[in-house]
Amino acid sequence: MSSSTGTKIELQILNKIPEIERVCNSITTFSRQHSIDEKIISNLYLAVDELLTNIIRYGYRDEKDHTIDIRCFIEKELLTLQIEDDSYPFDPNEAPQPDLTSNLANRKIGGLGIYLVKSMMDDVKYITKNGKNILTLTKRYTIS
Amino acid sequence: MEVKIEKIEDINIFSLAGNLDSNTSGDLEKKLIPAIDANNTKFILDFSQLHYISSAGLRVLLSAAKKLNQFKGKLILCSVRKDIKEVFEIAGLMPIFPIYDNPEEAARKILQ
Repeated sequence: MSSSTGTKIELQILNKIPEIERVCNSITTFSRQHSIDEKIISNLYLAVDELLTNIIRYGYRDEKDHTIDIRCFIEKELLTLQIEDDSYPFDPNEAPQPDLTSNLANRKIGGLGIYLVKSMMDDVKYITKNGKNILTLTKRYTIS
Repeated sequence: MEVKIEKIEDINIFSLAGNLDSNTSGDLEKKLIPAIDANNTKFILDFSQLHYISSAGLRVLLSAAKKLNQFKGKLILCSVRKDIKEVFEIAGLMPIFPIYDNPEEAARKILQ
């Protein structure tokens, strides 16, 4: 289910990994329609993929279907992405810093996804509201 | 994602096409790890047709490199597009995965 009007796109998916690519592709198409720079689009693609993967892989304590809402707004110079879900509360800003410097033998695997998102976006905000997690990411953009 | 595997002498060349993400990283893992377990030690991953990598893909590459490291093996990359290179840079993986411009240069380096 999706709708796109003017400078906003809204999508709703079930908590299934194969759904993620569809969201990433819809947001990419939407961003291209607004001539967003390709580098920003690839950053956005990764952010959506990493965050939805985390929610779907680790966020649910039952086997039931859950819906996740994704919204993307394009305003003058600012791109905003919002993800709303009812998974286990988790603030990406509280995630530990990954190991980026050890040699191969000692390098710890993991924690890179959230770090990549935070590095590529300008701001990541997390709140809980009425039992839902709401993640809001922003990125200033340039036109290609 | 598609994985094409070629073996030239003792060099294993894995050509990846498409997206290496949480949905597909298992496919690569199922091919790469058994190849390491079969005592192969030289691996070139050709990324010329790879469009995207996420942390799930990095995780498979890192665990393969760690395993190979125990046998003094080598895993190197070639033909990596700019936005994928950016992911390796941010994740601090440039010192771990040597990147070359094309498969020929990668093959020369892996034999040195």
